[in-house]
Amino acid sequence: MNNTHTGQNMIGLSLFEPRNDSKEYGQLAFMLIFLIILITPCSSQAAKLPEGLTWLTNNASPEWSSAQAEKGGLVRLNISSFPPTLRTVGPDSNNSFRSFLLDNQLPLVEMHPNSGEIIPVLASHWAYDDDRKTVYYKIKPHARWSDGKPITADDFIFALKFNRSKSIVAPWYNKHYSEEVVDIIKYDPLTIAVIGARAKPQQDLHYYYSIQPRAKHFHQLDKNWVNRYNWKIEPNSGAYQVGKIRKGKSIEFLRKTNWWAQEDRYLRHRFNADQVLVKVVRDPNTAFKYFERGELDIFNLTLPKLWHEKSNSPMFQKGFIHKLSFYNQTEQSASGLFLNLENKKLQDINVRKAIAHGLNFNKIIKQLLRNDYQRLPSFHTGYGDYSNTDIKPLSFDLTKVSELLNKSNWKEKDSRGIRIKGKQRLSFNLSYGNKLHEAQIIVLAEEAKKAGIELKPQYLESTSFYKNVIEKKHDIAWLGWSTGFRPAYWQHFHSDNAHKPQTNNITNFANKEIDDLINQYRLSTYEQERIHLAHTIEKNIADESIFIPSTMVPFTRAGFWRWLKLPDSIATKSSKSLFDPFNPTTGGLFWIDAKVKIDSLSAKRSGNGFESSSVINTDYKN
Amino acid sequence: MSHWPTLEFVLGLAMHRQIRSPWQKFKQLKRGYFSLLILTGLIVLSCFAELIFNSKALLVSYQDELYWPIFSDSIEGKQFGLDYEYETNYRQLKKTWQMDSSNHNNFVILPLVPFNPTEVDLLDGLYPPHAPSIENQHYLGTDTIGRDVLVRLVYGFRIAIFFAITLLIVEYLVGVFIGCFMGFLGGAFDLFFQRIIEVWSNIPFLYIVMIMSSLITPGFWSLVLIMALFGWMSMTWYMRSASYKEANRDYVLAAKMMGASNFRIIYKHIIPNSISTIITFIPFSVAGGITALTALDFLSFGLPAPAPSWGELLKQGVDNLDYPWIISSVVISLSFVLMLVTFIGEAIREIFDPKHKVYYE
Repeated sequence: MNNTHTGQNMIGLSLFEPRNDSKEYGQLAFMLIFLIILITPCSSQAAKLPEGLTWLTNNASPEWSSAQAEKGGLVRLNISSFPPTLRTVGPDSNNSFRSFLLDNQLPLVEMHPNSGEIIPVLASHWAYDDDRKTVYYKIKPHARWSDGKPITADDFIFALKFNRSKSIVAPWYNKHYSEEVVDIIKYDPLTIAVIGARAKPQQDLHYYYSIQPRAKHFHQLDKNWVNRYNWKIEPNSGAYQVGKIRKGKSIEFLRKTNWWAQEDRYLRHRFNADQVLVKVVRDPNTAFKYFERGELDIFNLTLPKLWHEKSNSPMFQKGFIHKLSFYNQTEQSASGLFLNLENKKLQDINVRKAIAHGLNFNKIIKQLLRNDYQRLPSFHTGYGDYSNTDIKPLSFDLTKVSELLNKSNWKEKDSRGIRIKGKQRLSFNLSYGNKLHEAQIIVLAEEAKKAGIELKPQYLESTSFYKNVIEKKHDIAWLGWSTGFRPAYWQHFHSDNAHKPQTNNITNFANKEIDDLINQYRLSTYEQERIHLAHTIEKNIADESIFIPSTMVPFTRAGFWRWLKLPDSIATKSSKSLFDPFNPTTGGLFWIDAKVKIDSLSAKRSGNGFESSSVINTDYKN
Repeated sequence: MSHWPTLEFVLGLAMHRQIRSPWQKFKQLKRGYFSLLILTGLIVLSCFAELIFNSKALLVSYQDELYWPIFSDSIEGKQFGLDYEYETNYRQLKKTWQMDSSNHNNFVILPLVPFNPTEVDLLDGLYPPHAPSIENQHYLGTDTIGRDVLVRLVYGFRIAIFFAITLLIVEYLVGVFIGCFMGFLGGAFDLFFQRIIEVWSNIPFLYIVMIMSSLITPGFWSLVLIMALFGWMSMTWYMRSASYKEANRDYVLAAKMMGASNFRIIYKHIIPNSISTIITFIPFSVAGGITALTALDFLSFGLPAPAPSWGELLKQGVDNLDYPWIISSVVISLSFVLMLVTFIGEAIREIFDPKHKVYYE
């Protein structure tokens, strides 16, 4: 829930949120003026909490950790490069290591990883205002920074000031916390209200307007902030704090001995390892070798080659390393082919549908991806109730391709078997920016030839691919978007963003009726209505065949040394990783069985072995 | 005017002597000579790669009619009695007809290696990369995507060698002429270009290529252009000193006196007399061209995928050391070709070595 990014990113590329329309700026300005008028006369006295608030909390949802978990031990993980800074905002901070730090900055509330209910984290209670924009929070009185100082309302107010400050050199944060979060009001040292810019359903309010505190006593905001705080260890509220740093080599996290939340419901029996060592290993092949040698405890085995081939080595066979695959139900990246409607030939819906029917994803899944991956059904998959599960992707069918193309007069074939109409050839560039997908793209293109459609694979280095796509110069682009909290239609499918560069509507789709639906969806603050609208929009978009979904990975899997233990339920519905050490919602479930570790190490020395273990958990398989 | 033929005759004789005798000397240097023969053979062979490495059949005989798929338009499967309307899979067709005992007259002749360079061969129950196998006709195995390594090596070689030769021609055309003019004209022109070259050669080439390839998708010609833009300088220094020396020779003065234009003097007199300098550098420039393209492809800044390329194969090999056939094929091929080129270069240097000559002023 810490993720307040509402604009979606192309995977592997950072892309800022498209600008909002001017109407919203108007609203925002009005609201700011209104607030200034409202707040100015009261500034001399403390704000008064509105009467009649219903304070909510949740101590009834089931916990997902294991009471058998033991504290202690060391766990070693790897990252591919050493972080250029320990700051979590500002230049160079958006690196893969940042999540280790951010996950140790707890949010006010979280969503239950299985049921989605709101659960307390830093806040003990919360209440909603009737304006549907404001949420009130009571901070837990025993919440402490890592340096022992209490976490108070001032730290939240400071966080807003911090995120709006020019000193942090983070324009996205500046913009987001100025435009999306209107203000934070302190009622007493442990009670605050966060006022958002737009009305939203209750659950969404937490996601969009929940803000992480920043230790006010630690930061000195001035123009040297970026340099001064590069390697400073910021106080945090999570279970671990950064320990020894060996620059370029490793970063150690140490468990706080008397962590303030260690007995709190939903946080107890978690974050068990005493020490988490994050090692830098540049090459993934080398990292796997380290793992097999026992110098790393955990390794992600999502890639089919790792799971099926590389993990047949002796340490796996002798049962020292266990394999575990776990189906989850998380938001899936909207990945596949995006057809640009600026291309004349693609404006014909028959051609678009013919392309969709001419792509043999089954062959890819079966012969390249070893039946591990599944076909992605629609743009927004895995968004809970918001996903329209009735949508099925178009399947490979040459007869249908023929029918559709004949209908649009693409009847003749040229010397290479590609359909032609007059002097036009049914040929498109299929650009992509990630070599990992090359095999799939080449197979798809070969199969499409059978349908008389030429897809010319065009690899572009990732920056130029991004530029090409965001300026909408592509015919067909192969990419995936990062996931969000709720389906986001406006940025991808609204005519506001069509036919102009630097927006996320990369298909240039513009349809008046769907625009109206999208506007309704954005303005609606009632969950059921929004869900219904989302289903309708999704269906309409699928019918247009502007986006042809590719594949999804509905599971996470890992290899781990046998002394690592997990709860009986293994992980949660929304776990994206099995051994995440710090994530406030799904992380820190594992523990280290010291006795098993001693036995295993002595067995390894003496050349003995155990029974091998490879488990596939399908509890959350759809 | 009556002096012209005499002069031409004398110069011609000199040239003749310089060219003929080196060639005979070259033939005597066996290592270089055979290297040249092998390399030429490889280049000629690669020009006809489509006949040897191709997924299309060379010849199909079906119901007493002959088809030449390589030389003709795409032939749909139903033409040969199959149930599909797209291009025939000839490997499958051959298998089908071989299995069919009732079939006596129909036959397919496939090229030696029946794959094309971008074709992904997915074998049932196996996942790429496939190890070398005579049965599957992947004689050097496949890469991580399932494309035949041998076929990609051959087509990649063709691209690399022609790239290197084109690059060499462009670079030398510019470099030799500018260098000659610098040496011949001297003065402000010389000074100006000296400074230009000094500045130009300090621009980091790799960064420029990276920036360029983020702006445009590099193709064969644009890559030649970009690389020539930063590669023409090396020849200028040698040609400058060569022409500086030649410019004061009597025959040049004679030509000047007779009213020959600067361009004519350089083209007709100076360049032919400094040809040894140019020829000596050619093999090393070819080797440089091949390695430069391979290096760029290795870093993904070269020719766009899925073009067959040695650099790309090398990258795959390095990333997948568990499949040694990829890395070993490309490393052996690359070393072999570079070795040939170097042997040729050494031989040429040997024959033009001034120690073997006597000069008369």
